[in-house]
Amino acid sequence: MTIARRIKSWPAWMLMGLVVVVLLTIGGTRDNGPLTQSERIDAITQRVACPTCDGESVYVSRASAAEAIRNQVARDVAAAKLTDDEIIAGIAATFQAKVLLVPRATGFDALVWVLPIGVAVCSVTALGFAFRRWRHDGAVPTVDDVALVEKLLAEDPSDEENI
Amino acid sequence: MSAGLRRRTAPWAAAAVAVVLVGLLVLLGLAKPSSDSADTPLLGRAAPAVKSTTMDGRPFDLSRRKGSWVVLNFFNSTCVPCREEHPRLVAFANAQSKSANPAELYTVVNDDSDAAVDAFFKANGGNWPRIRDDDGAIAVAFGVAKVPETWVIDPNGFVRLRVIGELSDGFLQQKIDAMAKADGGQS
Repeated sequence: MTIARRIKSWPAWMLMGLVVVVLLTIGGTRDNGPLTQSERIDAITQRVACPTCDGESVYVSRASAAEAIRNQVARDVAAAKLTDDEIIAGIAATFQAKVLLVPRATGFDALVWVLPIGVAVCSVTALGFAFRRWRHDGAVPTVDDVALVEKLLAEDPSDEENI
Repeated sequence: MSAGLRRRTAPWAAAAVAVVLVGLLVLLGLAKPSSDSADTPLLGRAAPAVKSTTMDGRPFDLSRRKGSWVVLNFFNSTCVPCREEHPRLVAFANAQSKSANPAELYTVVNDDSDAAVDAFFKANGGNWPRIRDDDGAIAVAFGVAKVPETWVIDPNGFVRLRVIGELSDGFLQQKIDAMAKADGGQS
């Protein structure tokens, strides 16, 4: 690809990148509007795992431990002093993080978020290098290739369009 | 992969593996040594503020129990380990009743009816107070998910011991005596 063609393809990529960033920003910061107390309780309990069940959230579980946590969340929501994250952090502190369905974005837990992104970036970069190398390997004709093409063209110039 | 490329990447791969191994060893070294108490962030901290009523209708406020060792036993009459450990709690309560500064034993009723708990205590002995926890507030405050669990709170109101599961013979008495001795007091 010539430099001119490369430059021409840049605006499309930049536009696509810009659209992705804007959409991610909107998705990440969008305010869904005020929730009722009941909706808040549901939203919080969906992020907390039942400590005595396997893979169930407090929202779904009917176990007594889940019931007790749901009651605590309801009391905290009714008191209206804590944010959702603070309520979950309080429960996670006493039950020691094993009740978090969504891992924290700080400390050692943050690896859960960072590692997949790191692996994805490394993979894409490695693929990019590999494709580039393959393209270069295939793009340079050998002396024999050139000689063969010239010979064929010299024999039958009418076939040039088909090459 | 060419031999040259392998020669170049092998040391880096070996170094990466070595770094991971050293990291794991450091984590192992920094891990907290095991103790008799089950892990809890409340250990050594002030016990949660707990207010409720006993099954005979009297108010219970944990913060007003300061000055005595307090034992909270989370219990359900249908739980087999709770039933199994009950004679040990009866023995502990009997021993404490003869002590100069007895520890206060309380049963925290976990997801059970008054009638069932009363019937169990009548049949198996034990006359210490039973605390209601109908909405699970006490269990959540202590991070109790399953019963039985036993918590020991010192006379200053700090959590000193958490035992998950069935108590063994004499364990509670032995631990409270040892902690009281270490604190320079009596149990």
